[in-house]
Amino acid sequence: MSAQNRAAVPAGNIYDLGYRHYEGKRHGRWYAAWSLYVESVRSVWGFGRPMTAKAAPFILLGLYAFPALIQIAFSSAISQSVAEGQATGLFAYDNYYARVSILVVLFCVAQAPELVCRDQRYHVLPLYFTRALGRIDYAFARLAALATALFIVLAVPMIAIFIGDVLMKPDTLQAVGDEWPRALPAIPACALAAVSLASISLALSAFSPRRAYAAIGLIAYFLLMEIVPVVIYSVGRQADWTWADKLALLTPNTALAAATDWFFGVGLVTQGAEGLPPTLGSDAYVVAVLASVVVFVGILLFRYRRVQA
Amino acid sequence: MFARSVAAIPEIGQITLRQLLGRRRTILLLLLSAVPVLLAVVFWAARVADVSGFASGVLDAVGVTLLLPIVAVLFGTAAFGAEIEDGTVIYLLAKPISRWAVVVAKLIGATGMTAFLTIASVFVSGAIVLAPLGEDGAAATRAFVAAMAVGSICYVSLFLVLSLFTRRALLIGLVYVLVWEGALSSLLPGIANLSIRQYSLGVANAFWQMKSNEAHLSPSTALPLAVILVVVTFFIATWRLTRFELPGGTD
Amino acid sequence: MTAQIAPDPAPDQNAVAPSPGPSAPTIELVDAARWYGNVVAVNDVSFSLGPGVTGLLGPNGAGKTTLLHMLAGFLVPSAGTVLVMGRSPSRDPSVYRQIGLVPERESVYPFLTGFEYVRFNARLQGLHNADLASRDAIHRVGLDDAMDRPIGTYSKGMRQRAKVAGALVHDPQILLLDEPFNGMDPRQRMAMMDLLGQMAAAGRTILFSSHILEEVERVGTEILVMVAGRLAASGDYRAIRALMTDRPHMITIRSSDDRRLATALMADPAVFAVELGKDLLSVRTAHLSTFRRLIAGASRSAGVRLFEVVSADESLESVFDYLVRR
Repeated sequence: MSAQNRAAVPAGNIYDLGYRHYEGKRHGRWYAAWSLYVESVRSVWGFGRPMTAKAAPFILLGLYAFPALIQIAFSSAISQSVAEGQATGLFAYDNYYARVSILVVLFCVAQAPELVCRDQRYHVLPLYFTRALGRIDYAFARLAALATALFIVLAVPMIAIFIGDVLMKPDTLQAVGDEWPRALPAIPACALAAVSLASISLALSAFSPRRAYAAIGLIAYFLLMEIVPVVIYSVGRQADWTWADKLALLTPNTALAAATDWFFGVGLVTQGAEGLPPTLGSDAYVVAVLASVVVFVGILLFRYRRVQA
Repeated sequence: MFARSVAAIPEIGQITLRQLLGRRRTILLLLLSAVPVLLAVVFWAARVADVSGFASGVLDAVGVTLLLPIVAVLFGTAAFGAEIEDGTVIYLLAKPISRWAVVVAKLIGATGMTAFLTIASVFVSGAIVLAPLGEDGAAATRAFVAAMAVGSICYVSLFLVLSLFTRRALLIGLVYVLVWEGALSSLLPGIANLSIRQYSLGVANAFWQMKSNEAHLSPSTALPLAVILVVVTFFIATWRLTRFELPGGTD
Repeated sequence: MTAQIAPDPAPDQNAVAPSPGPSAPTIELVDAARWYGNVVAVNDVSFSLGPGVTGLLGPNGAGKTTLLHMLAGFLVPSAGTVLVMGRSPSRDPSVYRQIGLVPERESVYPFLTGFEYVRFNARLQGLHNADLASRDAIHRVGLDDAMDRPIGTYSKGMRQRAKVAGALVHDPQILLLDEPFNGMDPRQRMAMMDLLGQMAAAGRTILFSSHILEEVERVGTEILVMVAGRLAASGDYRAIRALMTDRPHMITIRSSDDRRLATALMADPAVFAVELGKDLLSVRTAHLSTFRRLIAGASRSAGVRLFEVVSADESLESVFDYLVRR
C-alpha cells in the first residue's frame, strides 16, 4: 500500500465516460405545464403511489356515486313508481349535488393538500421553478388537475343516472335521444362546481406545508362559511336588515347548489331550502360563484408568487 | 420516584404550553374562536332577544360542534405529535419519571389551552348577547361553558391517545368528528352514547334545558360516560407510553 | 452487503474484553437480539462494559443505533437480556437517573435557550440545584457565551454540545452517545474527546457510536465492532489485530541497505513476502511477535542499520476493514 503510492502519478486526466450532451429538441413551457398537469391528475387519484394513497379518493368517489348506482340497481322497482307518477324522492341531475355534496367536499379536503402541500414541505419548489415552468404555470397546472379530477367525481353519478333512466325505458335508442337534452345542463353545472371547489381548496391549502393543517383549515372554512352567513341572514331577517340577503352568496357549497339550479332552470335550492333568502334568484348565485372563482384563483396565484422557493 | 414524577408535571406542562403556542396555528385558532363572538355581535346589533335561537344556532352549531373539536384536535394531536415525529420525545422519556406523569402533564397543557380558548369564546359571546336577557340567558351561558369544559377534556384525551398510536391522528380525529359525530349520529341515535358532543350537550342540559332536540343524553348519563372515557384513555395512553419504542433508524 | 461468516458465536469470544473494574459491569448484554419481522437488526450480541470509553463501530445499517436504543430502553430486545446497572432499562424508568443519552437526531426544542434546555433536563432528573448544575454542564461543553440564545439559532455543532450538556447535567454513571461528533469542527471535537476522557477517568462508562475511525482511535482503544447486526469483535483494537492471524501483518522498514536486509529476512520461515520499494522495504509476516525478535537479529547479522520499523496496518482502519470484509 504505502510502498506503491510513492511512485509518481501523472498530473491529471479527464476520462470520457460516454456522457453525451443533449442537442435535441426541447419542448417548451406548454409541454412542461402539460406534464405537470398529467402528473397531478395521476397523483390526485393516487396512481404512482402505494395503494393507501388510492384509498381515500376512490372510496370517496364510490360513496359519492353510491346513491346513483343504487338507483340503477333498483331501476326496475323504481320505474314502476315513475310510471305511476310517484317518483319524487328520486335522484336526478338537478338535485344530486345538493343532496350529496358533503362527500365532494371531503374529496377536496382529502386530496387538495396532497397536491400542494408536499412540495412546500420538502422544499422542492425550486426544482420546478428553475425549469421552463414558471410559478403561474405551476399553479394553473395543479388547479386544472384538481378541477379535472373533481369533474370526474361529479360526472360519474350523472352518467349513472343517465344510464339508469335510459335502461328504465323500453326503447333504448329513443330513450337516449329523449334523455340527452335533459342531461346536457349537467355538464356545465359540474364544470362550474369542479372549478369552484378546486380553486377554493387549492387556494386555502397552499398556505400550509403540512397536509393535516391544510385539511383542517379547509374543513373549518367549508363548515363555518356554510353556517355563519345563514345565521347572520336569519338574524338579519328578524331585524329587517335588507343587506343581509346578499350574505347567502358567500356560502361555498350552498351557493354552488343554488347555481346548479340556474343551469336546469329550476328553483330547487333557492326556493326549497330554508334559510335562503327568496329574493335571490339562481342567476345571482351563478355570478357569485364565478366571482369566487376569480377571487380564489387570485389568492392562489398570489400565494405562489410570494412563496419562498 | 413518585415525588419526582409529580414535581415534573408542572415542568413538562410549561414546556408543552410553550410548544403549543407561538405558531401560526395559534393565530388561526384565535380567529376561529372569534367567530362565535362575531356572531354574538351580530345578534346584539340586531337586538334579537332569542336565547334559544342563539344557543342552538351559535353556541351549539358553531361552538360545540365546530369550534371545540377543531381546537381540541389541533392541540390534542400536537401535544405529543410533534415530538414523536422529530424524535425529541426521547428527552421526556429518558428520565426517571413515571409515564403517567408525562401523560398528565401533556393532558393538562393541551386541555388547558383548548378549554381556555373555547370557554373564553362562549363566555364573551354569552356576555354580549345572553347576559342582558336575564336568568335564562345566564343559565344558557353557564351551560355552554360547562359543555366546553367537559368537551375539551374528552376530546383532548381521545386525540392524545390517538396521536400515540398513529401519525395520522389529526386526520383520523377529523373523520371521527365529521363522520361519526356528524353524519352517523343523525342516522343512528344509539351512537349518542359514544359521542363526545352528546356528552358535552348532556352536561349542558344540567344547567339549562335546550329547546331543540339536539341533545339526546341526560346529564346523569353524560357525565359518567365522559369520566369513563377520560379514565380509560388515560390508562391506555400511559400503557402505550411505557411500551414506547423508537426504531433504529437508518443507522 | 458483507457476507458474514461469524467466528464462533460463543458468548465468551476469545477476544480481550475490557476489564470491568472491581464492581459488577455497568452494562451487560447476553445474547441480545432484536428483529422486525424478517429483518434481524441485532443478532445475538453479548458483551459487558465497565468504566472507560468504548467506541461502537460499524458500517451503516450494522445495527449500532438499534443497539444503543436497546441500551437506552427504547427498544425491547426480542430475545436475550439487556441490563444496565443491573436493571432492565425498558421496564424500570428509575435507572435513567444514571443514564445520559445523546441521540443522533439533532432536533431539540428550538424555542428554549441553551440554559433553559439543560435546566429542564436537570429538573426532570430531580436535581435540587438545577440552576447550578446546568451552568456547570454548560461550562463543561463550552457553551457559556451562547447559553442565553434560543437553540433554534445554534449551529449544528452547538446543538450537539447542548444535547451533551443536557445528558451529563445529572452526572450519570453511564453515557450513551450516538454519533456525537457529527457536525462538530475539529476543535470542538477535540474538546469533546477531552471531556469524554475526563469522565472516563472519573469512572464513568461511556459508549459512543461512530463510523469515523480517527475519532475512535483518538479517544480510546476499546472498541465494539458490529457488522450486519452481529458483534464482529470487541476489546482493544491492537489486541484484536494480533488475533487476526489469517491475515499477514505488514511492516515497513527503512534501513541502510534494504536489499541485503530483504535477503536476510527471506531466509526465515516467519516471513512470507518482501517487497522492495523506493527507499522502503515492505515485509509481510504471519507472526508479529516472532518477527519482532527476528528483525533485530537479522539486521545485526546482515550488518544493516535500521532507521525505522513501522507496523503498517495496525491502525484501526485496517482492523475495521478486515472485520467488515470477512
